[in-house]
Amino acid sequence: MDKAIIRVENLSKKYIIGNKLNGTLRETFVNKWSSIIGKRNNLTQEFLALNELNFNVNQGEVLGIIGKNGAGKSTLLKILSRITEPTSGRFIINGRVSSLLEVGTGFHPELTGRENIYLNGTILGMSRKEVKIKFDEIVDFSGVEKFIETPVKHYSSGMYVRLAFAVAAHLEPEILIIDEVLAVGDAEFQKKCLGKMQDVAGQGKTVLLVSHNMNAINSLCNNSLYIKNGKNIKFGNTSETIDFYLKDSSDISNGVITYPNDKMPGDDFVVLQKVEIVNNNGENVSSIQINEIVNIRIKYIIKLNGYKPILSLYLIAPSGEIIFCSIDNSEKAYTIGNYTKTITIPADFFNSGKYSVQIAISTFNPHIVHLFQKEIISFYVHDNYSSETRQGYTGSLAGMLRPKFNWQNDI
Amino acid sequence: MNPEILLNMGNNSKYFFDSSKKNGLYFKELFNYKDLFYSLAWREFKVRYAQTFLGFIWAVIQPLATLLIFFFIFGKAIKVDTGNIPYPLFALSGLAAWSYFSFVISTSGRSIINESGMIKKIFFPRLVIPFSKALVGLIDFAISLVLLFLAMFYYKESLTWNLLFMPIFLFLILLISVGVGIWISALSLRYRDVQHIIPFFIQIGLYATPVAYSANEIPEKYQLIYHLLNPMAGIIEGFRWSLMASELNLFYLFYSFILVLCIFISSIFYFMKIEKIMADIL
Repeated sequence: MDKAIIRVENLSKKYIIGNKLNGTLRETFVNKWSSIIGKRNNLTQEFLALNELNFNVNQGEVLGIIGKNGAGKSTLLKILSRITEPTSGRFIINGRVSSLLEVGTGFHPELTGRENIYLNGTILGMSRKEVKIKFDEIVDFSGVEKFIETPVKHYSSGMYVRLAFAVAAHLEPEILIIDEVLAVGDAEFQKKCLGKMQDVAGQGKTVLLVSHNMNAINSLCNNSLYIKNGKNIKFGNTSETIDFYLKDSSDISNGVITYPNDKMPGDDFVVLQKVEIVNNNGENVSSIQINEIVNIRIKYIIKLNGYKPILSLYLIAPSGEIIFCSIDNSEKAYTIGNYTKTITIPADFFNSGKYSVQIAISTFNPHIVHLFQKEIISFYVHDNYSSETRQGYTGSLAGMLRPKFNWQNDI
Repeated sequence: MNPEILLNMGNNSKYFFDSSKKNGLYFKELFNYKDLFYSLAWREFKVRYAQTFLGFIWAVIQPLATLLIFFFIFGKAIKVDTGNIPYPLFALSGLAAWSYFSFVISTSGRSIINESGMIKKIFFPRLVIPFSKALVGLIDFAISLVLLFLAMFYYKESLTWNLLFMPIFLFLILLISVGVGIWISALSLRYRDVQHIIPFFIQIGLYATPVAYSANEIPEKYQLIYHLLNPMAGIIEGFRWSLMASELNLFYLFYSFILVLCIFISSIFYFMKIEKIMADIL
């Protein structure tokens, strides 16, 4: 039998931009008139938000949907939650869908917490009876018992979001569709949301999750779908899909940068030729797993004798600060020729995020900076720790680095 | 290519439908969302008088204020002929029906645009929104009816067997209000200009309908066109007839009845058509 609970076939959504559909009466008359007299309106332009998208989701699967802003992720969720209709193609959904594209849809500031729970619950598709049964649980989860009879306009934004999420969290759909809801609220609230979502996923329900938080996607989703320009670029194992996405969306060419002969940075004495990020298997990569080593390989050419240039490598944290500067301590080579040097940074050293490399070649005596190249190449460090290791926590961990030390129990 | 959507609504029975033939399911789903309909009406009611000092006493003051104006202008100054019926009773019965009509068409007319945030973020049958406004209006309508019965008691106006027909007229008033409201809500989405026309429409309509005066004041030769153009005229006369045995022209009433049905049914179909692109053009 067909196991797919969601089946998406050749789904396309076309938007017309340039000429507004919901124009004024005047515009309609003008358009009618120009079509009568045969003038064509060339201002309209079509935009394909989704382009022949295909994929299936099985019962109980938690699917992550990733892609850049504007790739079509939200359009896909809107179609699957029936907010808007596709232009062509079809989809089949076998089960009760609840979608959370926003928390607190329909909340009214003048109404009390209690009234908003009923209102929001019914908007999300629950009956008043269902809300009544779950009411105490919802209030407990939200932690706003004391203010339940206060109009929500007097709530802090944190309380507001907590109450809104509490209602949503008590829906009992067979299929849950979530769009970036995790982006709101403080760290603790996000943790609570994720915990709840893991519960939902654990109950064998099907979840579609859009997020830019790769840690969350990685720890919650078995499979992921990478969408680019409305197309299914990659569908499969989450870790691989995220890797592929990070590589594909990276502004740096696949872990290697080669300067053309006439554009090599440097001066008459020394020039930089090539910088590579290399993984354990000797492949050029733009993203690595957190528990892998990173090799940075630098090729440069000394063109004249006379100075003693030395290489130094700066590593820049995701926050933009310099973490360290490492100076070449290999066997010195100062004569004319091509040189290649590699430094290896151990596994379990970086935190997750985008790190970049700066390189300087300078002579210390007399002090001459031959070249100082900023932001040459970047790579992503991708946290692949399973949710068990992190006890379900998928938020980010602070710090420029996250070295692995040996912790021991002192008795 | 025609988009085809297949859904199972989750209660074990499987549905297969595409966008061109989903009417049966459409109304079933609308019914499933009845609790949302109550919730939205409740919200509207609560919010309308929230933080006002007099609360929903305003619902009593508003018709009384208009009545007072009519009483002095039409009752005392112009002295319109209302037959045996005391002028306040005559005007109040018309006002009750007209206020409901104008409330529903103005609130449900802008309801879709006002709820754009919700429409873009979650699925539910959008018809619930304009329908809920019609429910809220009934509260004010009921209050005016209570006032009217009190006034009839005060003027010792006796009720007749005509009263049995009142539910029919109430139903017609409901139907035309919702129908016009739905039309406007869908139209104003397509053409925002409609929003600006409505206040004029209501203002002119109040004087073009036998609310403050009797339709008998209209010259004989204009009677037909007056009733053909304004289905509310026949309905309000009928409503008044059911309460205090005023005159009634059955032909006009029947015509109004047919027109109201047409307006209501067409409004649903037009709305369903616009509903498909609602989230895209809001």
